[in-house]
Order: sequence, then structure tokens, then C-alpha cells
Amino acid sequence: MALKRSLYQHIRQVVPLRQRLTFGGLLLLIALANGLSLSLPVPLLAHGALLKYTHTAAITVQAVYDTGQSMTGAQITVYAPDNPARPWLTGISDAEGRFSFVPDPDLPGTWSVRARHAGHGAMVHIPINPEQPEHSLRKQGYTAGQRALMAASVVWGCIGTALYFSRRRTS
Amino acid sequence: MGLCKQSIFRCLFGCLFIFSIMAAPVQAGTLTFYASGEDLATEGFQAPRLTKDGWALTFSHIFVTLTDITAYQTDPPYDPNQGGPIPGKTQATLPGVHTLDLVMSAQEDDRVLVGAVMDAPAGHYNALSWKMTRATEGILAGYSMVLTGTAEKEGETVPFQLYSEEERTYRCGEYVGDERKGLLAEQGEADLEITFHLDHIFGRADKPADDPMNTEAPGFAPFTNGDGKQTLTLHGLHIGHAGEGHCNVEWH
Repeated sequence: MALKRSLYQHIRQVVPLRQRLTFGGLLLLIALANGLSLSLPVPLLAHGALLKYTHTAAITVQAVYDTGQSMTGAQITVYAPDNPARPWLTGISDAEGRFSFVPDPDLPGTWSVRARHAGHGAMVHIPINPEQPEHSLRKQGYTAGQRALMAASVVWGCIGTALYFSRRRTS
Repeated sequence: MGLCKQSIFRCLFGCLFIFSIMAAPVQAGTLTFYASGEDLATEGFQAPRLTKDGWALTFSHIFVTLTDITAYQTDPPYDPNQGGPIPGKTQATLPGVHTLDLVMSAQEDDRVLVGAVMDAPAGHYNALSWKMTRATEGILAGYSMVLTGTAEKEGETVPFQLYSEEERTYRCGEYVGDERKGLLAEQGEADLEITFHLDHIFGRADKPADDPMNTEAPGFAPFTNGDGKQTLTLHGLHIGHAGEGHCNVEWH
């Protein structure tokens, strides 16, 4: 409010009355653009609704008991291939035991979905882009011990070679 | 010249030694196996979780004898509904025969340590199998599962000793529970759980009578007529699980 008051005082000092009326409209726009609230009457807009869509390849799982009965309200957990220990998405199945999700296309491999309800549970594994290499728990490359051994062997080889040629020159 | 040959021989020997170390598999960790009868074993069937016919059960012992305990890394993942052998290329087998008491030996989390494979290859162990076999020594000899305790209903107390001699093999897919299990990182630790669902024997009063588990479970009523040794028939009942995940059963 103090900022608004000082702004009006500044306008009264530097802007003539005729121009002030026109300037008021511009000020309103500036204020709105900067997030300031003014006590001037402004037209109210109705709450518009906008619905957009994106065409995606979603996966729907359905959790059922082995009797065929739907597993309604089951806890659903989705695991992405890059981190099988951490849930990627969680949710609840609908009345028919269904649950849909859109996997991240940048994470190819086997996606796992777990359903649990009242002491019963099941998992399903869904391969996505199986031609892509799958992430693995195995680390690629060498261990620290192997790298140290390789470095030591290179040094040892250089020293041995040097000693070999130096011996030949001496004899 | 002899000195040169000796140096070359040493070089070759050193290289061979280095390559043998580099070629050796180092991606190994510790895979620990547990067994559990869950809280129904340690706390019993107490209200509102009575047996399907209204008995409260308290177990003094639940002995199981297990062997051929093997974890597998399978791709594609094993489906117990399809059954058959588990085609895992990488396996970790716990040797020996293990007789466990799921009540007296249970930890605070209701699990009993079975054993560990210290040099299990790293990877995701997403399938598990074990065999229920007859014990060969002591008072349990000849039986694969023994349950003892007392049952109470409407002021009546009935001691029970239930003996099963049935041998079978359970083959399960991935463990299903609060968290995923069997994810063994290089030089890391992971565990798997052999789970016994006792409510598949006795049913549950807090579940609908037409629940498939209650319709299949015999309940406790068939065992109320004697305090001596009674035969427990488990054929057709799916008490072996990997957490909440169901398993395929092969009866021997």
C-alpha cells in the first residue's frame, strides 16, 4: 500500500490532470504485469476450462485374484528399468483392478509393476524396446583394485624393460 | 644370455598372473536367506484374526525342514503360474538341510535366519525355490512340518500337535512385499525370504467366509478331538510364498 501511495503522489506531481486519466489505464496494465493489486474496477473474466490431449503409448495393468475377482483398490507400484529398487510411480487400482501409466520412452528395458492388496500380491514385468541395452546392476569397467594392479604392472614392465636393455649394454 | 631368458620368463609369468587376476569374476556379494511364518506364527491367531471357525491359536513351536534353497536370476522373469523348472542362468544355492523353528528362533521382525551365500554373483535374484523335506534326526525325524501349541474357544482349551510328512518343492517368482528384495550389488548385501502363510491352513475369521482362502483352508475344527499327535495334510494348500507372491508347488 505504501508503494502504491508514493506512486500516485509521484504521478500527481509530474503528470497533468488530463494526461493522468490516460496514464491510469497504462498504470493498470503495468501493475497487473508486475503483480500489484490496485483498487480500480476491472472486468472479471469467467473461469475458463481448457482440455488438451497428447497421444501416448500407455500401459494398463489389471490386478485380479486367481479366482478372477478384481483386486479393487490395490496398491500399485511401478519400477523403471534404471532403478529397480526405487518406485517410479505409485497409485491405486480402480474398481476393476485396472491401473494405467505412461512409461518414460527414454528408459528402455523391463518395467516392473507390483500390485498388493489384503496380504496378496503379484508382480508383472513388461519389456519396452527390448532391442535397447538394459541397465544392469553390474558395474561396467574395472574395479579400483584391478586398475591399481594394471597401473602397477605397466610400471613394473617399464622398469623391467629398462633393466633388461641396460644389462645388455653393460655385458 | 641365461639372465635374459630368466627375465623373459619372469615377464611372461608376471603377465599370466596379472591376466588371471583380471579375468577372475569379482562381481560377488552376500545373499542371505530368511524364513518367516510372519506375525501369525509369533503372535498366533488372536482376535480379531481368529481362525475361520473362531479359535484362538498360540504356537509354542513351528518346525520346518528346508533344503535345496536356491535363488535365481531369470530373464524373462519366472512366472509361477506357468510352473515348471526355473530357467535361471545365474544361481546361488544354500547348501545343506535346515530345520528351523519359526516361533522360538524368530527375530523381532518375525524372520529366522537360514544362512547366507557369501560369493553370490551380483544381479537381481528374482526367483526362489526350496524343498520341504523330512527331517532325519531327533523327534522331528520323518516330518517336514510340525506345529504345536494351544487353541482356545469359548472357555475350552485344546493342546495340539500337528505333523505333516509331505515333501514338496516350491518355485516362486520375485519376492513381493514392502520393498523389492534380491537386488545384489557388486560386493554388496541382499536378502530373500521364504514365507509361510499359516492362514491358508486355518483360515481367518476377519475375512469373508467366501474368500477363496477360507473356502480352501480346513480351519482348526478338524484338530479339536485329541491332544496327541495328529496328521496335518497340506496337499492342495498354498502355504509357501515369497513374501506375498504366490509360488508353484510340486508335490513329491
